[in-house]
Amino acid sequence: MRVSDQIAFLAPRRSVLDRREAIIADLADLLPPGCLVSDIRGLVPFETDAFIAYRQLPLAVTLPETTAQVAAVLKYCGRYGIPVVPRGAGTSLCGGAIPQEDAVVIGLSKMTRILDIDLANRTATVEAGVTNINISEAVMPEGFFYAPDPSSQLACTIGGNIGMNSGGAHCLKYGVTTNNLLGVKMVLFDGTIIELGGKALDAAGYDLLGLICGSEGQLGIVTEATVRLLARPEGARPVLFGFSSSEEAGACVAEVIGAGIIPVAIEFMDKPAISICEAFAKAGYPMDVEALLIVEVEGSEAEMEATLTSIIEIARRHGVTTIRESQSATEAALIWKGRKSAFGATGRIADYICMDGTVPLSQLSHVLRKTGEIVARYGLRVANVFHAGDGNMHPLILYNINDPEDAARAEQAGNDILRLCVDAGGCLTGEHGVGIEKRDLMLHQFSQADLDQQMAARAAFDPQWIMNPSKVFPLEGRPAA
Amino acid sequence: MTVDFEPQSEEEAAEIVRAVAERSARLKLVGGGMRGIVADVAADAVLSTRRLCGIVSYNPAEMTMSALSGTPVSEIEAVLTERRQMLAFEPMDPRGILGLTGEPTIGGVFAANVSGPRRLSAGAARDHLLGIRFVNGEGAVIKSGGRVMKNVTGLDLVKLLAGSHGTLGLLTEVTFKVLPLPPASATVVLSDLNDAEAAGAMARVMAMPYEVSAAAHLPESVRGRFLGGALPDGPATVLRLEGLTATVSARAEKLAQACSVAGPVAVLEDGASRKLWREIRDVAPYADGTERALWCISIAPTSGHQLVAALRLETGVDAFYDWQGGRVWLRMEADPEAALIRRFIKALGGGHARLIRASAAMRAATPVFEPEAPAVAALSARVREKFDPKGIFNPGLMG
Amino acid sequence: MQTSFTPAQLADPHIATSEQILRKCVHCGFCTATCPTYVTLGNELDSPRGRIYLIKDMLENDRPADEEVVTHIDRCLSCLSCMTTCPSGVNYMHLVDHARVHIEKTYKRPLGDRLVRAVLAAVLPYPGRFRLALKAAALGRPFASLLKRIPPLKPFGTMLDLAPSKIALASAADTPGTHRIDGVKRGRVAILSGCAQPVLRPEINEATLRLLARLGIEVVVPEGAGCCGALVHHMGREEQALDAARRMVDAWLKVKEEGGLDAVIITASGCGTTIKDYGHMLRLDPAYAEKAAQVSALAKDITEYLASLDLPALERKTLTVAYHSACSMQHGQKITTAPKLLLRNAGFTVRDPGEGHLCCGSAGTYNILQPEISEKLKARKVRNIEATKADIIATGNIGCITQIATGTVIPILHTVELLDWAYGGPKPAMLEKVR
Repeated sequence: MRVSDQIAFLAPRRSVLDRREAIIADLADLLPPGCLVSDIRGLVPFETDAFIAYRQLPLAVTLPETTAQVAAVLKYCGRYGIPVVPRGAGTSLCGGAIPQEDAVVIGLSKMTRILDIDLANRTATVEAGVTNINISEAVMPEGFFYAPDPSSQLACTIGGNIGMNSGGAHCLKYGVTTNNLLGVKMVLFDGTIIELGGKALDAAGYDLLGLICGSEGQLGIVTEATVRLLARPEGARPVLFGFSSSEEAGACVAEVIGAGIIPVAIEFMDKPAISICEAFAKAGYPMDVEALLIVEVEGSEAEMEATLTSIIEIARRHGVTTIRESQSATEAALIWKGRKSAFGATGRIADYICMDGTVPLSQLSHVLRKTGEIVARYGLRVANVFHAGDGNMHPLILYNINDPEDAARAEQAGNDILRLCVDAGGCLTGEHGVGIEKRDLMLHQFSQADLDQQMAARAAFDPQWIMNPSKVFPLEGRPAA
Repeated sequence: MTVDFEPQSEEEAAEIVRAVAERSARLKLVGGGMRGIVADVAADAVLSTRRLCGIVSYNPAEMTMSALSGTPVSEIEAVLTERRQMLAFEPMDPRGILGLTGEPTIGGVFAANVSGPRRLSAGAARDHLLGIRFVNGEGAVIKSGGRVMKNVTGLDLVKLLAGSHGTLGLLTEVTFKVLPLPPASATVVLSDLNDAEAAGAMARVMAMPYEVSAAAHLPESVRGRFLGGALPDGPATVLRLEGLTATVSARAEKLAQACSVAGPVAVLEDGASRKLWREIRDVAPYADGTERALWCISIAPTSGHQLVAALRLETGVDAFYDWQGGRVWLRMEADPEAALIRRFIKALGGGHARLIRASAAMRAATPVFEPEAPAVAALSARVREKFDPKGIFNPGLMG
Repeated sequence: MQTSFTPAQLADPHIATSEQILRKCVHCGFCTATCPTYVTLGNELDSPRGRIYLIKDMLENDRPADEEVVTHIDRCLSCLSCMTTCPSGVNYMHLVDHARVHIEKTYKRPLGDRLVRAVLAAVLPYPGRFRLALKAAALGRPFASLLKRIPPLKPFGTMLDLAPSKIALASAADTPGTHRIDGVKRGRVAILSGCAQPVLRPEINEATLRLLARLGIEVVVPEGAGCCGALVHHMGREEQALDAARRMVDAWLKVKEEGGLDAVIITASGCGTTIKDYGHMLRLDPAYAEKAAQVSALAKDITEYLASLDLPALERKTLTVAYHSACSMQHGQKITTAPKLLLRNAGFTVRDPGEGHLCCGSAGTYNILQPEISEKLKARKVRNIEATKADIIATGNIGCITQIATGTVIPILHTVELLDWAYGGPKPAMLEKVR
């Protein structure tokens, strides 16, 4: 049994499947050579993203090079009611880019130009396929950076970041994508190209930009984005705090924030996560602790000292056993490399599914303990590595994907954990998105009326429900198309 | 203003909306009796949120607060100050420039996405809004968002409702992020720069690692109207630093040093600094008791002064700049000149102009909100229709 | 990642190895970002993750290779940048090697392609034939542009472009035997003479012999050596590659028996990556598995070996060197700091070009077989190198030297040539015009 049998996709539109050959021929006319994948062999690698529990082959994959080509493909798909699934780098952890049988994938991986860097206004305008880290690298020599830093920033694209309203470790201080996005050029389902926002700090009219950010490719396809750049701080230093229990580390985080101290980042790793990350990055994490916090402070030397002193004082009250300041830029880079590679590095020991619930800080220790109990009940293991400062948890449920029963147990444990997060006053997803993974849990967080209103807003953009239609909203209870 | 409805609960508000919708009547939504926005709304009845009042929950350790939408901002700020916290986006108090005496409400602040000088570094009101409850145009109670900092579950209706001026729904409850009140504040004043030089200086300063939390330029024409005339002579480019006491003075010193090549530099200490930024926030120079047209313009920071320079060749204007030059407070000597201003903004790469104050006659003749490109306007109209199918909320406002 | 192989399939040790590799991949996508072909072409099928998926699908279904799969596997440079990036530790090298063998066994290439590959496999690994071919190339150069206009013959045109205009005579450095040392003997090593390198740049091994001799290291050029097999290995010609490996193992171990061996010195990092993998390549050959592992353990890049010799620090020079780390050096062998430290220690100012992780497009025979992509990568590499405003480019692989030299006027040398000069050897002829 293929694992994908476990989740339902929308029933493919017969009218689309029957016209497969004609659609492919038409798409080939709309695009330059090398921008269309329709061969069955070539489609297979597009059947999933970084959420490998489910898979589905698309009808075709288009890789346009310009906004005009994106518009041409969308106009065509809009006219014939062909579902469209946007794809950036395919690093979604919730199956946001998993296609469906009758869908044309629009991949933005060929749109990788940096169009404008305006340092006086501190903005960068880039095509949607530019990777997150490329933006920061492009402005680093001049002392700037782009703040949101999802752990997959090496590979993930700005278009995908906007689709999921991505966060990252440093969002504790700088906010997530929506707080750093100034404008987009995007294409609607019918091929209409619109521009929202620009270099000004706020835009006219409704905050459509805010609605689009995090809309998971359901409202249109962003092809260009203007983002805010920030000046690099004078200095930045990650410090490692080791604890003999997860509860102590969690309580320490809550007290730091409660004391009004907001470091740039507070990251949490438990023992399994520490050993996984150390195996890849060799960052020198302490291996004799049960839980580790990476706290990054920044500013001038004096500022870092002052902030650290307060944090150390709090950490001592919570029984910190190890405190280690990074001594060099290389060491700091390794500490972050290890943390940011945590999910991938987990592949060394097992398959995993990654949860993304956010809980109020006061609930952190409770939810950590409960998570351990849930996973144990299903006879599985868990590694925890997450953004503790804003309560955004990432339990990695370890399992064997080649064992269907194990996979089913992992899925159920994941659902239980997410319900736990919502019941603790939090939400299903803090930064990865609902995608297909959490779609059927939406009614645990929202009422049908809440979802009806969201779907109504969605329909204002895509009345035919062709944009990434199997995602986000439960398949039952949708308005008749 | 006569108020027809003053619901005391969310259910009551929903019932009223349902009843109004049934009659296909039109409803004007107001906060605590403030007009709040310059546009006139012709409606059959007025609903005030004034009695949807009170802080629902406040968790200082988690830096979040929930309040009913009619809760006065003053009440919220008083409670926050007690715990050394604040609304970091620094919402302005519009009473001075509008000559009003009502009580701004927290719902009104978010409905209008009102942000002050710290927007430059800390984000706008919408960036701090975590969750909402609202009644849509069919009388259904809807919630969106939540009370945690990071939440991407479902479509972000929170952002959409922020700044929608009560045209998409009646906010009943808002949950927002609060931040620690910085223990210290100081302002570096760089004197004698013209508007263009100031724009350059502010851009350079914002590229430095000193965490300037607000940057404004006060040309000679307005300088004397701040701090009772106590700012040093000449145009003043003012740069605010906030944080721990020791670090603020260290940063102020470094920043002053860095700025001294451009002109004379002075540093305002805590008290004067806080007062100055409150005056900038509330647009004190134009709280002049007149009805002269006042625009709030958003534009790329380095284009603000170019806009003003271009306008000066055509008409009588007075202006000062916040947000590193990207927010222009523009007072007209006579005509609002909406078309001219908007044409120039477009020519300078885009942005928008909102009419904040004007006489009744001017208001009637001028589009208060920036008209949107046709495709975007059509989209916005479709969105509105999905929240308020019968068009009962604040008809005529926002397109 | 989920796999679905039958127990019968897994009985094949090659499949079993590949299955273990596939199981480690969690499809996170990090590898796409640092893959030169994905960065250039923007199609996931031309990324490691896409290729892994193509390979998995092909192997699971026990299917002969087809055009679509071959197209994308052929575009892989085997630069192994993905392996540096991969947090999960996926051994892409062994997986793609397996796929190439599978392709070679199950896929019939078009005639032109077969011809080109046969010529490359029959000429490049043999210095005598290669030297002759280059002489012929000098005569054939006027026809390069004509050849490039006939698609199946295009690679021949590219070969003519890449061929040097002057061909060196066979060097004494390649003559089998033991090279004398000056003074006290501090060690004994064997050296890989190689195939293409001694023809294209005999200066590299000459410099190596001089420098090692001055340092008291006895160097043996073994009898019966030759090409290490890397070139044909990357073309999927498994038997030819394994034969080469066995021959080299025999040759070096004979040296060891005769008088001990501290290391096998390799001056082309492309060869080094393969030799260090002999242990894996011959793991299923009972007669050679253990011996091959011994050789792999002895194999050292020249810079890796020199780093262990404690060379004295020299006075600062005015010359600035852009260090281009060959993919086989940084990704294949994970040697990243030693060459730069040696150059700095010898007094050079060393700069790192931007996007250092990206391949220059040489990649063995890649620049001949995939000229369009190779040209784009070369241009990008040269742009990044020239941005450093360096006087000299240093690198550790002959392929990169040949490739980059056709794109820039900055002289490009092997690291060891600069080190030999700094520590008392003659100034490299190529630097005559440099201050």
